Amino acid sequence: MKIKKAAIAGTFESSDITVSIQPNSENEVSIRLKSSVEKQFGDQIKKVILDTLKELDVKSASVGVNDKGALDCVIKARVETAVMRAAEETKFNWKVRN
Amino acid sequence: MEYLSLKKEIIDNKDFKKLREIEQFLLKQGLRLDKNIEYTIAVYDEDKIVATGSFENSILKCIAVDKNYRGMRISNKIISELVAEEYVRGNNHLFIYTKPDNYNTFGDMGFYKVAQVPGEVILLENDPCAVGRFVENLKKKRVDGKVVSAIVMNCNPFTLGHEYLIEKASKESDIVHVFIVWENKSVFPSNIRYELARNGIRHLNNVILHKGKDYVISSATFPSYFIKRRDKVTRIQALLDIEIFTKYIVPALGITRRYIGEEPFCDVTAIYNNVMKEVLPLHGIEIVEIPRFSKKREIVSASKVRELIRERKFSQVKELVPDSTYSFLCSKKAIPIIDKIQNK
Repeated sequence: MKIKKAAIAGTFESSDITVSIQPNSENEVSIRLKSSVEKQFGDQIKKVILDTLKELDVKSASVGVNDKGALDCVIKARVETAVMRAAEETKFNWKVRN
Repeated sequence: MEYLSLKKEIIDNKDFKKLREIEQFLLKQGLRLDKNIEYTIAVYDEDKIVATGSFENSILKCIAVDKNYRGMRISNKIISELVAEEYVRGNNHLFIYTKPDNYNTFGDMGFYKVAQVPGEVILLENDPCAVGRFVENLKKKRVDGKVVSAIVMNCNPFTLGHEYLIEKASKESDIVHVFIVWENKSVFPSNIRYELARNGIRHLNNVILHKGKDYVISSATFPSYFIKRRDKVTRIQALLDIEIFTKYIVPALGITRRYIGEEPFCDVTAIYNNVMKEVLPLHGIEIVEIPRFSKKREIVSASKVRELIRERKFSQVKELVPDSTYSFLCSKKAIPIIDKIQNK
């Protein structure tokens, strides 16, 4: 998916995460992370974000993240929403996991 | 602590009754409700307002939580909502002006410090790299010299008065950097004011024009809702603007001098000039005040030009502006602006 405009998903509440996505002129994925648990889970959070972006075929994006202790599933959900908004995409593939 | 059932509500701009309630609530917190607000939300406990927040363009303001409801992360709800709505409106570079004491609250929500006037105001933005990028872009336009001057102007529109000040600085300096204040409250929009200035300085080869954008603070957009004494507002705004100027712009461009025009009419500008005369020398910046350019014993000012436009006295307007500005005023593009001036 192509990031067409800036978009945000999430709130600043405890256990949530805000993911803000913008187009990146350098044609790569860059992540700026701020987290209340950065030292313990910084790498893990970045991994979830990168994996989710890969799943959505996002090759270029500038991602700003403000994490308040969100679980992986929450991170993934917020990234997906932000990407859909930024790509102005309305058809979502609701995957049912077995 | 019992769980409170709090209701969050978007306040319509025309719901004067609710807005007045919000104004009352803010007054109790020692704050005012800014006149220019685009969007407001409030949090209620039953029918009582316990918190509120608003924005205008990219500036979040008038944010307050009742002291009996603090520590419940209500400000998180307010800011989350305001930020989400800003993004929907296409604004992703957001600013907050507030009391320095609030730094920790907003810092927690991804807002970073740009500059502060101790004890008075702090400016925050939601991107930690934005100021750095601004400085890097300025550095690209850096030209070294013994006398590197700066001028900040609104140019609403660009007149012979502006031309005179810039020409004087150009003669007396190696390089002149002119910053156009960026806000859309002036009747001539920012990009047009910039174009007119650009055309007005074409004949000078040592003048570089810049768009003031986010880091040159306009009194039109500076929110003062948290400053108790109204008579201190302009001074505090000037101190903040000069702090940003000396912290970021001066080192990036190697500025050694700032030119200003004498201000006999506008109180706000006069206060500004005085603050600059007080503060800039402390940072090693020379400040040079030039008497205003006059024609037929009358000072040439942009407000005079707008007055003449309103009175449809275009032949007199022609005497006060360079040809480039006059031909713009005669063009189709100027019609909506002239209409606005004449129908005010």
